[in-house]
Amino acid sequence: MTTVRRLLPEAADLGVADLLRDLATARVAPPFNAEAMDFCADFAQRLRREARGLPEAQALAFWMRGSGIRRLAADFAELGSDGCVLVPRGTALHIPPANVDTIFMYSWLLSTLAGNRNVVRISDRAGEQTTLIVDVLAELFRAGHHPGVRASTAVVQYGHDSRLTDLLSAACDLRIVWGGDATIAEIQRSPLPPHATELTFPDRFSFAAFDAAAYLALDDGRRDDLARRFFNDAYSFDQLGCSSPRLRGGEPAAAGAAGRDLFDRLAGVVRERDHEIATSTAIAKLAYTRRASIDWPVGRARSYGSRLTVLPLDRYADVRGEFCGGGVFFELRVDSLGDLASYVERRDQTLVQFGFPADELVSLVRELNGRGIDRIVPVGEALTFHRIWDGHDLLQAFTRRATIDLTEAHLT
Amino acid sequence: MRTVNVSLDELFERRQYRLQQGEKERLLTAELAALTERHRRACPGYARILATFPPAAEVRGIADVPYLPVALFKTHHLASVPDEEIFKTMTSSGTTGQSVSRVVLDRATADLQARALAAIMTTLLGPRRLPMLIVEAKHVVGRGRQFSARVAAVLGMASFGRQHFYALDDDMNLDRRGLADFLGRFAGEPIFVFGSTFMVWQHLVQQLAPMEADLSDATLVHGGGWKALQAQAVDNATFKRTLLDLTGVTRVHNFYGMVEQVGSVFLEGPDGYLYPPNFADVVIRDPATWDEAPMGQAGVIEVVSALPRSYPGHALLTEDLGIVHGVGDPATGWGGRRLEVLGRVPKAELRGCGDVYAGQVTAS
Repeated sequence: MTTVRRLLPEAADLGVADLLRDLATARVAPPFNAEAMDFCADFAQRLRREARGLPEAQALAFWMRGSGIRRLAADFAELGSDGCVLVPRGTALHIPPANVDTIFMYSWLLSTLAGNRNVVRISDRAGEQTTLIVDVLAELFRAGHHPGVRASTAVVQYGHDSRLTDLLSAACDLRIVWGGDATIAEIQRSPLPPHATELTFPDRFSFAAFDAAAYLALDDGRRDDLARRFFNDAYSFDQLGCSSPRLRGGEPAAAGAAGRDLFDRLAGVVRERDHEIATSTAIAKLAYTRRASIDWPVGRARSYGSRLTVLPLDRYADVRGEFCGGGVFFELRVDSLGDLASYVERRDQTLVQFGFPADELVSLVRELNGRGIDRIVPVGEALTFHRIWDGHDLLQAFTRRATIDLTEAHLT
Repeated sequence: MRTVNVSLDELFERRQYRLQQGEKERLLTAELAALTERHRRACPGYARILATFPPAAEVRGIADVPYLPVALFKTHHLASVPDEEIFKTMTSSGTTGQSVSRVVLDRATADLQARALAAIMTTLLGPRRLPMLIVEAKHVVGRGRQFSARVAAVLGMASFGRQHFYALDDDMNLDRRGLADFLGRFAGEPIFVFGSTFMVWQHLVQQLAPMEADLSDATLVHGGGWKALQAQAVDNATFKRTLLDLTGVTRVHNFYGMVEQVGSVFLEGPDGYLYPPNFADVVIRDPATWDEAPMGQAGVIEVVSALPRSYPGHALLTEDLGIVHGVGDPATGWGGRRLEVLGRVPKAELRGCGDVYAGQVTAS
């Protein structure tokens, strides 16, 4: 018998068959039922208390607060109608990444709100924040207020074990896999039932674009504020989140001055926040930036200690791929936002922007026509989760549509 | 092409570890600055790096010499000589799956490395070659154009000994009879014992019975890192005490070196610190700023060497942490900066949404 370590609803080593049988007895609940909404709000409240000083967990707690959930419920209600009822998919299997501690919680909680049963596989390399989240949930389940959610939730922990992934995949109606690409490829070797669907969130790349004239029109205080927001975009997750910008563009008119000013201020924020970079990351950055100078048309670097290095590109180069994180930016000047379009690829996820008018942004998206860039956000919002992520509306993806054609049969 | 200049000759000819630090730094700085220019002209990749990260206009000291992170040699072929002048390629002994460093040597650099090692070893062992006990299996020391660091170390050291005896059989068991014969034959004579730190501990110390081997006339030189022994909670003091109790050996010298700078070996003095030879030195850098750290403060070890002619490896930032504990007194025979190696920089727990690249901080 294949056994697995279950962390929630209560810790046990048990057979996968037993785990799945237990779960199958749980009711698939109606979307946005009162218990699921209470559960999410209670979780957010406890997390806010327990995760002091952990910005990503605080962001999650804020996102899942009562008013946020009520707004989601309203959004969800608009997706359906009397003729089109959104119903849960059944059982969702979530495979989050080992190295981002909170992002998977968004999809898991959304799936819970959608009424699904949820199996979450936690990596054996999971970090501190994951442990904290599991502890908060364990406490919540012990308190006994959410028996329905408790019965329809299973959190398991295992390393690379394709047998377990096979068994869990065979029992799910929806599989959600967070990248990297190698992890997704590995998970996809485990077949899904014929009716099941899958959402994947692979490796992504992100840009930031600043309109130089708009930037230079700002006063000192606003420039500092912008630098602080840009810091949050870039330095959370050590710049390794898929939506953390690493390439920034700007327009040429005074772009040099604007770029220098912005990065000088960013360096100030890095100092002010006393953002620490692990020594191994600092060394990896040295190696990465030296490699970059050999491989790509990099001009003279601007280094601000080991925490911020700006590599100006003389012309566009594909700098996607392996990355060290920890505060390395490529800088490219373009004449207009439209010039960016020819460089955009399928992998490109987020464009963080400052100072561009709405019509330019919309026409960029229309020109790209789906080739890349799933979201454009203002500076400071790169890592803010939205129910539409990587081009998928998760509330739709976690449900299916049952349609009711109310027209009378035309009897003759 | 100029091969060896005046300061390098002087660094070789002066007795090792006997230079005053100030004089040494003057000679070495001039030599390193010349090497920077040599590699800038001859190695396009190196020139690109210096264009992107321009070094100090005036090289006033060793710390002003531009340095490369050692991991660069794992991904990029950096050569300052044309392919036809490459005499051999050194590779690091990375474990399976890890990328290995590749360092190309021309004849001149290989000769300098041999000369450097000879200068160090004859200072330690005297001018005569000693009977040599090698803690290694003979079959491990194969031949080929590419040498692992461990094999290269044995081959390099073998020339300072004679009547070489390999202490391990093909199954890595101690050849007890052979060892007894060897020690009996040279009883009362000075002998030279060499092996990697791990091999000495695992295959000599762990297999020897007390007083089975009398090494009180031996000089033991060992190196290659403490990582495996740290897992067994064996530090340098434990290592030396255990060996002394077991074999009576008193002259035990750890060495610190890397495949990217063969020949520039730091040798442990009687006080337990590692001393660079005349033609090499160490800079400790603060990883927050990459400036030189004050004496006594831990930081990342940068090693400089006047030897590398065929590749731009004359100043390399390692992935090791260390402290410089002042400067030794040349009059005692151990002058130069006193280095303590604290071990590998710990790997950070990398975060992000994906399969984050962590390959850059790996063992060499």
